[in-house]
Amino acid sequence: MQAIFDTQRACTVFDEGEAVTGYLVRRILLCIPILLAVLTLVFLLVRVAPGDPAVAALGDYASKEAVEALREKMGLNAPLYVQYFQFLSGLLHGDLGKSLITSRPVAAQVASAFPYTLELTASGILLGSFLGIPLGIFTALHRNAMFDYLGRLFSLVGLSVPAFYLGILLILLFAIKLELFPVVGGGNLSDLGETLRYLFLPALTLALIMMSYITRMTRSSVLDILNEDYVRTARAKGLRERLVVYKHVLKNALLPILSVIGMFAIVLIGSSVMTEVVFSRPGLGKMLVGAMKQRDYIMLQSIMVIFSSLVVLINLLTDLAYGFIDPRIRYE
Amino acid sequence: MYRKLIVLGLAAGLVLGLFTTGITEELAENQVLRIALDAADLNTLDPHRAAATMDRAVVDMVFNGLVRYKPGDILVFEPDLAVEIPEPTDGGLVWTFQLKQGVMVHPWDGNAGYELTAEDVVYSFNKAADPDRSSYAGEYGGMSFEAVDRYTVKITLAEPLSSMLFLPKVADYCGGFIVPKQPIEALGDDAFKTHPVGTGPFMFSEYVPMDKTVLVANPDYFRGAPVLEKVEVRYMPEVSSREYGLRSGELEVVEGRREQDWVETMEENPGIVVDVFGPGETVVLHFNLKREYIKKKAVRKAIAYALDRDSFLAFFGSTAEALYSPVPVKYLAGGLTYPELWAAGLAYNVDREEAKDLLADAGLADGFTMEAVTSERASYRRVYEQIQAQLARIGIDLKLKVVDHSTMHSLIREDTNPITIYIAWRANADVFLTRFYHSDSIVVTGAKSDTNFSHYTGIDDLIEAARSEVDADMQIALWKEAQREIAEYLVSYPLIMLKYIFARTDKVDWGYDLKSTVALYTQITENTRILK
Repeated sequence: MQAIFDTQRACTVFDEGEAVTGYLVRRILLCIPILLAVLTLVFLLVRVAPGDPAVAALGDYASKEAVEALREKMGLNAPLYVQYFQFLSGLLHGDLGKSLITSRPVAAQVASAFPYTLELTASGILLGSFLGIPLGIFTALHRNAMFDYLGRLFSLVGLSVPAFYLGILLILLFAIKLELFPVVGGGNLSDLGETLRYLFLPALTLALIMMSYITRMTRSSVLDILNEDYVRTARAKGLRERLVVYKHVLKNALLPILSVIGMFAIVLIGSSVMTEVVFSRPGLGKMLVGAMKQRDYIMLQSIMVIFSSLVVLINLLTDLAYGFIDPRIRYE
Repeated sequence: MYRKLIVLGLAAGLVLGLFTTGITEELAENQVLRIALDAADLNTLDPHRAAATMDRAVVDMVFNGLVRYKPGDILVFEPDLAVEIPEPTDGGLVWTFQLKQGVMVHPWDGNAGYELTAEDVVYSFNKAADPDRSSYAGEYGGMSFEAVDRYTVKITLAEPLSSMLFLPKVADYCGGFIVPKQPIEALGDDAFKTHPVGTGPFMFSEYVPMDKTVLVANPDYFRGAPVLEKVEVRYMPEVSSREYGLRSGELEVVEGRREQDWVETMEENPGIVVDVFGPGETVVLHFNLKREYIKKKAVRKAIAYALDRDSFLAFFGSTAEALYSPVPVKYLAGGLTYPELWAAGLAYNVDREEAKDLLADAGLADGFTMEAVTSERASYRRVYEQIQAQLARIGIDLKLKVVDHSTMHSLIREDTNPITIYIAWRANADVFLTRFYHSDSIVVTGAKSDTNFSHYTGIDDLIEAARSEVDADMQIALWKEAQREIAEYLVSYPLIMLKYIFARTDKVDWGYDLKSTVALYTQITENTRILK
């Protein structure tokens, strides 16, 4: 009997594993047309926007002939469809091209900037989640108490303040007043201590924003669950409050919280752009702003490829995480 | 007796000690200067392409010219790579330069440096004259360059030029920077953009995209090794970030904002000094003579009478000074002074009643509406907003469309605006007048379409006559005559000069008296140092 049960469970696990793999493959295949659509849109938008990379590169002193010669050299006089297929073909070969302005390979520049953006957004998401979920639970459990009002006020402020402004406030407090953290650059990535020192303030900026979203969502989600019959039953059975909260409430509240984390992680990628500019971190966000100002189409496209891929990846991971949290969800 | 001598000796020692400590300031242990510029990244460090502050600043430290603008004072030329500034020969057609011996090109990519020779100089000028390799090729048309011997360079002109027009072409500015032959041929033009090799006081060390360019002291610099060990040029587009970087001690020098408020706020911080210096850039309103309303001289006069330079000066404070003629008379030969304009009845001092009468005479008593694009950059936007407010007082409704800076440059060159504000610095009166008022420079349709936004064609002969005039007084007289014509016809209306604003810690000593510089930043030389 036990053997049959074990076999059945093994089959279920195997089926489940197969289902996950199949789901993953389907989702990845689905990402391709999404990315292609995004890339096409980005390709067209950067070219439709007024402005000329040659003018941006040469400055206002340059003559019309010099500008025209540079346009030719940059390949901007080629028909749009030729430029588009060159771009796609390069991507398929893993070649992001060369910056129109500095002529340096874009892939190398993106590779050097990416770690700064990754560590910033990842630490912002993690820190925001670690702080936001407990605060949300706490405020929900103490509904309409002083802590609840304070927590709600705090999260409202966090939601209302733009990242760049929050960053400046943190700089004023921690760097200028208390002289605790640096404000210029990203530090040397090979030195963990230095990296953390440079990361703290920008990560805190993003974390506070993330935390505000998560606190509100966690509070509301926990409050909903607290009113469920099974929670009342658990309490009536005499279960300790801690067990009720962690076993019955939090577990059921996690699903909407997770989707919020996924959704706002994407928002946070946007906020990281201004945060990097304010803290002058040499990441993809600052690179994006520079490429926009310089009309460096090739650089701009490449950064958008990275950001779009990140968004798609976060969506995918969020969807996959649902199944782990709630076994009732099937990958079909 | 002995006691008196001892007391006198001690007193003398004390006085001498106090005196010497007073005049010998101690150097800081760490001679690393970190300067933050208003840019997200560099554009190019090839001096023959460099145009904006973030590029010119680095280029200025890495390269030399045959002659140079004296650091901190653009009114004085002095020899740089050349032994002396020569006099022209052969009726002003030939300029022969003797090079200093022992000037070393920086080492690069494992290659040892070598002595700069006439061959390098000739190569560099030929590069500067090549439109495929230089943005300033137009400045060197009709010139030929020859290495007479190892240390002698002969430059032959197609037509004689006055020293006022010739020297900027061979100075440490734009195409005049000398790019040594071997490194650029070895690296290639593209790599040179982010790996410059020159002869200046600082050598390229590292470029981190979107972050910084690092330069180190050139121990073999021909004027002596620099005091600073290293210069880090940071690219920081956000002014508040630069400001906080300076206040937190992570930066020594930052590019500021051209606003009086900013200057005053920064000066309130202990230990921070703000340098406001020239020449800055001219801010000139160009009338589009082809546009409805504006093509009527009465309307242009009405606008001129409506504008009040004092309001602009009050707004920009110490960061600006009045400008009365297209060529800024304070910094360049050939400009018109206010008394000269006033005497000619062309001062157009603010008189809004007169302005309204003129509009009424032109059949526009109720005013009119026009639309112009402006840059998102504060310097442009604020000027346009001031104009908008002042024109509103005589019934002219100026609608502004704010676009990003590079877009504005593209659009105004497509003849978009009825009035165009242009903020610029040019090397001499000829360049100012040619590029803004010669018919060849008319936007879109000109033979060498450039920045003649007004479509004016009235002073070509004067510009050309002045260009070929070698007598300095005659040349200046022709330039002044050309500008009187501009003022008479009201082709443009010069408003103000916006000066450069940089803030620094008071521990930074430039090593020279900073009055004006064409390098677009506070020049960092071999004498610049950080004090304790």
